[in-house]
Amino acid sequence: MLKDITLGQYFPGNSILHRLDPRVKIVLTVLYIVALFLAKSMLSFVFILCVTVLLVLLSRINLRVILKGMKPILFIMVFTMILNLFFTRGEGEPLVHVAFVRIYREGITTAVYMLVRIVCLLAGTSILLTYTTSPITLTDGIEQLLAPLSVLHVPVHEFAMMMTIALRFIPTLIEETDKIMSAQKARGADFTSGSLLHRVRALIPILIPLFVSAFRRADELAIAMECRCYRGGAGRTRMNRLHMHIRDYGALVCMVLFGAGIVVLNIYTSRIGYGL
Amino acid sequence: MSTKLEVKNVSYEYSPNTPFAASALTDVSCAFEAGMITGLIGHTGSGKSTLVQMLNGLLRPVSGQILLDGRDIWENPKQLSRVRYRVGLVFQYPEYQLFEETVSADIAYGPKNMGLDGAEIDARVREAAEFVGLEADLLDKSPFELSGGQKRRVAIAGILAMRPEVLVLDEPAAGLDPIGRETIFDAVRAYQQAREATVIIVSHSMEDMAKYAERLVVMSESRVILAGTPDEIFRRADLLCSIGLDVPQITRTMMRLSELGLPCRTDIFTIEAAKEEILRLWGKERENA
Ligand SMILES: Nc1ncnc2c1ncn2[C@@H]1O[C@H](COP(=O)(O)OP(=O)(O)O)[C@@H](O)[C@H]1O
Ligand SMILES: [Mg+2]
Repeated sequence: MLKDITLGQYFPGNSILHRLDPRVKIVLTVLYIVALFLAKSMLSFVFILCVTVLLVLLSRINLRVILKGMKPILFIMVFTMILNLFFTRGEGEPLVHVAFVRIYREGITTAVYMLVRIVCLLAGTSILLTYTTSPITLTDGIEQLLAPLSVLHVPVHEFAMMMTIALRFIPTLIEETDKIMSAQKARGADFTSGSLLHRVRALIPILIPLFVSAFRRADELAIAMECRCYRGGAGRTRMNRLHMHIRDYGALVCMVLFGAGIVVLNIYTSRIGYGL
Repeated sequence: MSTKLEVKNVSYEYSPNTPFAASALTDVSCAFEAGMITGLIGHTGSGKSTLVQMLNGLLRPVSGQILLDGRDIWENPKQLSRVRYRVGLVFQYPEYQLFEETVSADIAYGPKNMGLDGAEIDARVREAAEFVGLEADLLDKSPFELSGGQKRRVAIAGILAMRPEVLVLDEPAAGLDPIGRETIFDAVRAYQQAREATVIIVSHSMEDMAKYAERLVVMSESRVILAGTPDEIFRRADLLCSIGLDVPQITRTMMRLSELGLPCRTDIFTIEAAKEEILRLWGKERENA
């Protein structure tokens, strides 16, 4: 079922990662991604893997759930690995040479590094952000981080509100799609067999009701907001203000150390000539 | 009396192996008699909608079997679409699944998927529209122009046009006014009588169930806890109340009268029966006086 897609979903909990300030988590995620792309050597990738495993443990989210969330992009992972494996040209003799296929040592290492990078990228960002941060808190964080931009007349609040609404309605629309699909299946709709054209045509009975209901919801929401005198961001106060705690500063320090660690490991391994 | 559809030790869980895993059916067994209207009642979240989606193979039981005329519907998953034509399921708020340009085209969607020819489809659309009381001039309109009650009837006609042997409706009268409710239930009964169909209705309204159902199945917390005739079920007022349900208002009135010391029967759940009983009591009083 569509509902069982876990990538990008929030799992309520009370771990340290759940309690971190959303602004900090956004910054951490950016730092984490930068660190991932700085990594160049075997040691730094091992280091990244360890840190990511640590994040998984800290979040107290079932490892099986996290792995299941990666299933949708399994294809991309395999595809990237194969491309790197076959098309990386190395310096030495190829390890395997059959017809036009040549596999170099560098190809294998690049493929493995790529895999680690993608897995960590997904696991890390989803644990730091989506899995442990409720959508509302997340948009709050984004709004506050971007607040300085409103000096430049960027409509930050409106942007955040749009995101909040979009995130709020994703599960609703997924549920609705599930329901409409079941209802049309009950009338004999078949989405899994037949030619491509046939399958595309089979989607019409789902898409039309889905759009109709999305517009209806949008209308109702707009009216409800208007009834509560919503007029955009100017002068709005908030009930729950974000506060930085010691753990938030601690997390930032840890992440900077993590980035520094990777740079150091990169330099160290290139010194001892054990680069790739 | 024979059993048309049987649910045997069925269990089901939503989103298994995730933090959101929720058991929705626990070892549920019940039988639906051929040619009868069976009411399925239970508190919100008791698993009624889950159970009805099992009946036509939209959800697959984790364990247990669904037997249609004695054969497991999952015996041959390729034949499931055949099962779906035989067991017609009307979802809750079915008006939200209309999509065609005209009412008649929408009703024809099911029969078309069955691969019937044009004349047959036409005849079925007309027949189904008649069952639910849609006037002929509505058939060429867009379904999006209709009122809520009319849309609901179009959606139900879309299932009736497949001429299912078993008709399952999930809260077909939810959110309708009394006349709308009555129209729908009368249409269902007309279809049942014309086609000798087996009907299963999920409902919250004890009054509607008392009026239309010949059998009742009671669910609570993902289990079937009672099954029997309305007589047998509504006699268990205490049990019904303890699981968040109720007896029909008229039954409650009769119970209250009996509490007040009047020698009246309390196993009454339609207005007509209550009227007779009250007239009988009144006649006796006058004799005594
Ligand atoms: N799509 C779904 N995903 C997860 N849980 C669900 C889903 N649908 C229903 N449930 C859960 O299953 C249980 C039974 O629900 P349902 O069959 O809809 O009950 P009812 O129709 O009697 O109100 C409820 O606890 C509900 O929260
Ligand atoms: Mg329900």
